[in-house]
Amino acid sequence: MSNQLNDSINSNPEFTLVGIKNEQILEKCLPGDLAMWFFILAELTVFAILFIGFAVSEQLNAEMFIEGKAKLHQISGLINTLTLITSSFFVALALNAMHKGDGKKSAKLLVIAKLVASVYIAVKVWEYMSLFDQNIDIETNTFFTLYFMITFFHLMHVLLGMVILIFIAMKAANNEYNASNISGYESGASYWHMVDMLWIILFPLIYVI
Amino acid sequence: MAYGRYALDYSLSTYLCDLTFMQTINSNKKNTLSWLWLMALTVISTFIGLVINNKALFIASVLFIVFLKGQQIIDIFMELAHAPKLWRRLLLGYVTLLPIIIGFIYIL
Repeated sequence: MSNQLNDSINSNPEFTLVGIKNEQILEKCLPGDLAMWFFILAELTVFAILFIGFAVSEQLNAEMFIEGKAKLHQISGLINTLTLITSSFFVALALNAMHKGDGKKSAKLLVIAKLVASVYIAVKVWEYMSLFDQNIDIETNTFFTLYFMITFFHLMHVLLGMVILIFIAMKAANNEYNASNISGYESGASYWHMVDMLWIILFPLIYVI
Repeated sequence: MAYGRYALDYSLSTYLCDLTFMQTINSNKKNTLSWLWLMALTVISTFIGLVINNKALFIASVLFIVFLKGQQIIDIFMELAHAPKLWRRLLLGYVTLLPIIIGFIYIL
């Protein structure tokens, strides 16, 4: 029954059941809770203001920002970008496993995602420590005020995301998610991808340009 | 009766949503290709300054890569490729408009 239904859906975009077309069904698929997406939009807005503020400040204090960026460790920024992308990748794989009903595999993939993300945290802490060793802190100048504010704010989001992933992994390991009850999992995964997406904008803005 | 029909339609649509979602969107191969593409773009954007000397072109290239990476995350990792158009457009609008605004600030 299920296989026949699957074949009908995949082979015929005009397939209908109870008056709902296949394309219409796909259109309706917003992963996770609607409330989480509004929260994500709010977070993106806050970060957009910070990013634009950073860019405007750089134009007003060009030399200070060039000197400040020269003191940052670009390779650590690159490593952090690669780790967050990889962590997001494992979360996407974990969600796939959960969609297929394999809670144990999903939990294992989430643990890998968190281990990879912990590299980000270690590198970030090392980066802060090496700046403190050079007597650079949040009060040094406008560049470092913005640098510490934006990157620390992002780090807090990573930590919150990791807490969310821990809860999701525990529930997934106990097979508490199923086809009709996976919204919480999808919401947590979407939040984690948002954290990744924000770093993808933050990295070139602070470390590359 | 009317409420019963609504509940039936709703549960079926939820089931079908999950079913089609699983088969047409979620693909480990697609995720893996997207991950490799994102990794490659990250390395390119980090070192693109070594080959592009023009400041405006360099900034535009880096910000264009931000858009490409954002689009991958939104459509593949966040699985919004088949989400309601409004939400996909909102997120894609973010990774399009923000780099454009930042680009204008730096280049103009």
